[in-house]
Amino acid sequence: MIKSEFSTPQRQSKTGLLVLFANSLFEFMKAMWIVLIIFFLKGKATDIFWGIGIFVLVLLGFGVYSYLKYQTFTFYIDEEQNEFVVQHGILNKTKTVIKLHKIQQVNLKQNIIHRIVDVYQVNIDSAGSEEKEAVINAVSKEVAMALKAKLLDNERVEVIDNSVEVEREIEDKPFLKIDLISLLKVGITSNYAKSIGLLLTFFFTIYENLNHAGADELIDGSKVEDFIANYTAVYSVLVAILLLFTVIFIINVVRTLVKYYGFKIAKQKGSLIMSYGLIATQSTILKPEKVQIVKITRNFFQKKLKILEISIKQTISDETKKDKSTIEIPGCNEIERDEILQLIFNEIPEKGEKLKPNFRKLLFSIFLLIVLPLSAYLTIGNWFANSIFEYKSIAVFYTVFIFIGLLFGFKNNSLHINDKHVIMQSGAWDIDNEIIKIEKIQAITTSQLFWHKSLNIGSLTIHTAGGNVSFQLGNFEKINQYVNLWLYQIEKNESNWN
Amino acid sequence: MENFTNEPIDISALPRYEVVNLNALQSKYWNVILFNIVATFLIIGVVLVVIVYFVEEIHSIAWLFGLVYILFLGFTFLLCRISLKKRGFAFREHDVIYRSGILATNTMIIPYNRVQHVALHEGFISRYFDLAKVEIFTAGGDSSDVSIPGIKKEQAEDIKQLLMGKIQKQL
Repeated sequence: MIKSEFSTPQRQSKTGLLVLFANSLFEFMKAMWIVLIIFFLKGKATDIFWGIGIFVLVLLGFGVYSYLKYQTFTFYIDEEQNEFVVQHGILNKTKTVIKLHKIQQVNLKQNIIHRIVDVYQVNIDSAGSEEKEAVINAVSKEVAMALKAKLLDNERVEVIDNSVEVEREIEDKPFLKIDLISLLKVGITSNYAKSIGLLLTFFFTIYENLNHAGADELIDGSKVEDFIANYTAVYSVLVAILLLFTVIFIINVVRTLVKYYGFKIAKQKGSLIMSYGLIATQSTILKPEKVQIVKITRNFFQKKLKILEISIKQTISDETKKDKSTIEIPGCNEIERDEILQLIFNEIPEKGEKLKPNFRKLLFSIFLLIVLPLSAYLTIGNWFANSIFEYKSIAVFYTVFIFIGLLFGFKNNSLHINDKHVIMQSGAWDIDNEIIKIEKIQAITTSQLFWHKSLNIGSLTIHTAGGNVSFQLGNFEKINQYVNLWLYQIEKNESNWN
Repeated sequence: MENFTNEPIDISALPRYEVVNLNALQSKYWNVILFNIVATFLIIGVVLVVIVYFVEEIHSIAWLFGLVYILFLGFTFLLCRISLKKRGFAFREHDVIYRSGILATNTMIIPYNRVQHVALHEGFISRYFDLAKVEIFTAGGDSSDVSIPGIKKEQAEDIKQLLMGKIQKQL
């Protein structure tokens, strides 16, 4: 049907023009939103009149820009050279050429604007030493499907009519789907620290931007001071904590929903394909042979709610792509976990023999995190600045909090070893289980302090291409025995690491 | 298929990495370390003298600076000496072992079939003493790479050849 449709250079879909326009406008808004808000808050009536004028001009400018971009963007398949060619650029022309046989993945994506005008973004990933990527921003569904089929299977010249149907079937039959309720559960039970960080950065950016714009009077500190003066300190602290927690809960739930809405996993040619996202649909590919570490995380609440999180670390090919190489699956249940593990490891790794750290590990962390800071606090308070003793309650709270944390961290810390895997369990609140396949080990480091020699305790670090895992102060003889066994298992195979 | 067996592994009979006799670094390497210490401390010393000379308020406690300087020098000297004595390496049939550390003994083992590439590095002063450094890289990033300094130039070349051969064979 659309056999040689792509042999001549062609443009994107006409309706796609809207996508281009919206995208560039969105980028502009993202960079300028603070300025715009301040402008509308502080501007006088005449200013707003001017502002609207400028805004219309900006819109026109972006319209022309998008049109030119649309006009200059072409793509085609050079059938003689077996290459896929993308040309773009208004003043500086860029030509991207990808050999057809090097194309590994063709992904179709839709964000909210794509959905409105019913077009698709086509992402073309190629492998090889020179990693290249081509993005076609907006084409109609038929073109996108046909292009995908053509690029992925260039030997098959005849594009069978129902290939589109087959494609759809794969995409519609995911083997794992995370429903809204699971996502809500994840939202209220995890990532508190991340959300607090997000909240702080958000406030700091706004504060700094407002300061820069000279809008100090907008931040009315006096109201807060009045409030605190009217009530007792304890009461206001309580209200503040309550408020903070509510905000964190809401941020957590919203963030999880926006990021992972409609999370589904499908199998395709031995790989796992995941897609998720409310506003922009993300899709990631996971190749089981590239998996280095699988981390299963669960805390007390999640255990009660029967959910858990999985994060999968793949080979880090490039430090800058570190984030991209970790894949997170929020909120699945135990059956789904087992299915995923089965796919990655071809079996469900069992926890074999268990090694526990020596109690000195607990003593050492108490010394480092409680005794040292407390003595510094007492010293400074006693001899230099008596005033810091006013914050006694914080010191007591810190000590109790950290002590309980360390106690649980020690209780949960253990190393499990079976024939093919090493499983490291750790964590005070969120309990992590990191699973490493022994053949994925790159190097092993053992470490022993000289005064631990007679006690026969020492530490172990396992290096993989996806990061390191350390187990501290275990039975050193046992550790050495396992190191020797692992080395044997790795080295008896002639095959190189892949 | 007839050669295939699947006997249980006797763990106690496996070769043990922790009892392997390690080669010490070349004693000439101490000269390189000495040179580095002396050069660093010369620069610090000159800066100190200049400061003490120009800031009159601290003339009276100049001796304190001198004392700290000498103590610090001695301490660095001692640590470097211990560190050198404790370092060692061995190339086994299937892996390389490198040991280092002052308070802790760190032993790192990299199987040859995990090595990605090998490099030879000759420093300015090392070259004068006919020494080289062998650097071994894996896919595990910085933390799982090893660099063994203070090896005789020809020996380092041999090691590099050996490792390259091992890698080639496994591809």
